[in-house]
Amino acid sequence: MSGTLIPRAGLLGRKEDFASIGRAVTEAPARTRSRAWWIAFAGACGLLGLFAATLAWLLLNGVGIWHNNNPVVWALDIVAYDWWIGIACGALLTSATLRLTGAAWRSGIDRIAETTAILAAAAAALYPIIHLGRPWVFYWTLPYPNTLALWPQFRSPLVWDAVDIISFLGVCLGLWYVGLLPDLASLRDRAFEAALAQAEEHGRSRRLTLLKAQAYGILALGWRGASTHWERWLTATRTLSGLALVLVVALQTGASVMLAGTVLPGWHDTLLPVTFLAASLLSGVGVTAALAVLVRRALRLEALITERHLALMARLMLGLGLASAYCYATEIFSSLLHGDAFDRAVLVRRLAGAHAWAFWIIVVFALLPVQLFWFSSFRRSGLVVALVGVAAAIGSFGDHFMLLIVTLSHDFLPSSAHPYSMGAWGLATLAGSVGLFLALLLLGLRTLPMVSITETRRFAESHPDGRPSGERAPTLAETAEAPLWGVSAEFDDADRLAAAVRALKARDLGARIETYGPVPMRGAADALGRPAGILPLLAFGAALAGGAAFMAMCLYASGVDYVFDVGGRPRFSWQAFLVPSVSFGTLCGGLTAAVALLFQNRLPRLNHPAFAIPGFTKASEDRFFLALEAAGPRFDPARIEQALARLPEGRPLMVRRVPL
Amino acid sequence: MRQLFAPGADALLRLALLTGAACLAALPVVGAGLMRSSYVTGVGVAPAQPVPFSHKHHSGELKIDCRYCHTTVETQATAGIPPTQTCMTCHSQIWSGSEMLEPVRASYAKDQPLVWTRLNKLPGYVYYNHAVHVTNGIGCSTCHGSVTDMQLTYRANAFEMSFCLDCHRNPEKYVRPKDRILDMAWSPPANQATLGPELVRQYHIRGGERLTECGICHR
Repeated sequence: MSGTLIPRAGLLGRKEDFASIGRAVTEAPARTRSRAWWIAFAGACGLLGLFAATLAWLLLNGVGIWHNNNPVVWALDIVAYDWWIGIACGALLTSATLRLTGAAWRSGIDRIAETTAILAAAAAALYPIIHLGRPWVFYWTLPYPNTLALWPQFRSPLVWDAVDIISFLGVCLGLWYVGLLPDLASLRDRAFEAALAQAEEHGRSRRLTLLKAQAYGILALGWRGASTHWERWLTATRTLSGLALVLVVALQTGASVMLAGTVLPGWHDTLLPVTFLAASLLSGVGVTAALAVLVRRALRLEALITERHLALMARLMLGLGLASAYCYATEIFSSLLHGDAFDRAVLVRRLAGAHAWAFWIIVVFALLPVQLFWFSSFRRSGLVVALVGVAAAIGSFGDHFMLLIVTLSHDFLPSSAHPYSMGAWGLATLAGSVGLFLALLLLGLRTLPMVSITETRRFAESHPDGRPSGERAPTLAETAEAPLWGVSAEFDDADRLAAAVRALKARDLGARIETYGPVPMRGAADALGRPAGILPLLAFGAALAGGAAFMAMCLYASGVDYVFDVGGRPRFSWQAFLVPSVSFGTLCGGLTAAVALLFQNRLPRLNHPAFAIPGFTKASEDRFFLALEAAGPRFDPARIEQALARLPEGRPLMVRRVPL
Repeated sequence: MRQLFAPGADALLRLALLTGAACLAALPVVGAGLMRSSYVTGVGVAPAQPVPFSHKHHSGELKIDCRYCHTTVETQATAGIPPTQTCMTCHSQIWSGSEMLEPVRASYAKDQPLVWTRLNKLPGYVYYNHAVHVTNGIGCSTCHGSVTDMQLTYRANAFEMSFCLDCHRNPEKYVRPKDRILDMAWSPPANQATLGPELVRQYHIRGGERLTECGICHR
């Protein structure tokens, strides 16, 4: 879906144009400078302190503080880890699917969904380490060059967790950062404009303002919005979305297959992979919806995250809630149907045992509240959408608790039935991880664009006003003697720009034509010829190669180099190795996509002649620039200026010479 | 518009990125190198001892049998550290006034053992038995190096798991005939490839499959 998207009713305030969208998002963080933010941040930091204290206590005493026992070896630690990863997977899958299908309503949502995914993964990231019992040797789960002549046990979910969380963070950060690049460029240019305005007023700009601009500039890696760059950016985001989709599906189904690898009753329903996906999606969409409401209210972005966005999220939650309900009903029905006494006993314990509250939490918090969304008035109420979203996440916690703890606490033998109770420390660890999530979220609200400026602009009107940008251009006298980099023409409308490119493309002016703008310029890119689409090939090739290499390593390590019998499992357990291999493959692909995007675009490039085009800061706001870069002996600025002035259609607002 | 960054900024940024990447790549390499260095493993480092005892002199030049001092090496898990009485079998007669041997005589008089600095110490979770090795074709020098050439005794090998596994996976590469066990100069002969498996059969060693089971060393 390159180029401008078709405007959809209700997804954007009526009066919004390119400039106002940029302003709304870039000025939003300033609205967090309030007492409410500080109170919330203090609360989150308090929870973080609790987290630190819990971890210290854990290091002193071991995982017993969570009341883990035999047979409940996986207690609140794994429950919380699975819950966070479920939320992260749901949110990432939402963003990836919306990007891949080109849904217009991703505009207000995708950045929030990706942020949710990253923060939830960050909250989950510590669990695979801290639940190890000896966390200081966490690196034993990775294949590092050790002096033991040993490999990690690739059949073990311990290793899967380590590979999965690293891969998830890699792919997720990649997608988020690539999407953020143009927005960072916009932030850089706004800060630079502020610094220039200060210089106009006081003779020099404040150091802090300039530093802020430069910090954003370094983060934006010199993004300048060239049309070829935009085309590759579109490809890269789609490629990363595809990889994220594969990763999430592999992760959630892998988790359910892991349970099926045991002998315990209640973990063998063939629908479990789908149940996992539906439940994680519901919790991820729920948290994303709640955050969208928060961002909308706290940052006053009602014009960009509209009621229609909320209504669509609500519909999605309703659909996922119904899918989840179907999965649970099927599980109960099939337990009764195939008549395994142990399976039935687990079912009875789930519905009426010591931890029956977990099941009823699923029903009361996840499955029932979404039914409100049959009514359109509830779908349009921010408060209801947020509350139902949070409730869905709470219900999902009940799901993980029920699935793991109720099953583990009693299997086939009376001797392996052992009561389990949640301890205060387990809950403190969970609360602490929530604190980490909230603290990072609040910092993000204060510093980063929480709504994608680019994606929102892509289906806004640019509202041409026919006025060139105000910056003073060098006079003819000044540029007469100076060496010229080229000639630039300014437009306020992408269609006129495309017409100009088409008209000039055919003529031999001794110049390289490139266009710059705040959104992908489909028409101009068509006229200039699209860059070769090698990026997805590279990324998927790297994903396949990385996955195959990881699989080969597992097979060699466990089947050739050091064979030992683990519970009679086969020597070449490729099914078990598939889970980390797929994750690692997507990580390789994701990193390749991000690196290839930069490499093909010759970024980072902080200092580039194009930045010297008069008024170029507007190229990240609401102006398009056509640059004719001197290339060859036939280059004559006067001739080019004439050609531009005589264009039948697509006449520029202003033509300027750009000194080197 | 002015440039936000000076022309040199790109070079600096690239330098910073490359440095970061190089540091990241160097971290595991340096870590792995450090863990294998003699600084950590102590290989080749002779620690200070209460008496500068020379294996080279006693077992090399004077040809005293290893088992004269390490008496239990063929019968027990531990090879044994000699008591002071063993030293005094000779040193009550020769060098009896030597200043260097003052700690030995004091230890004998007070009936308190000499406190040697231990060289080879395995972790508590590793089971190791000297007797089963030296009676089944594994010689002293395979692990302890050429002790008869050591003026001051040092650790010849870091007893890491990979060191043990190397031999446990392919015992036929290291087994010796019975009469060469104490030979410090033994190195695998040219026909080890045929001799090794033959010896493995003679000693009834059950091969890598059995010797690499966890429970062999971790009991």
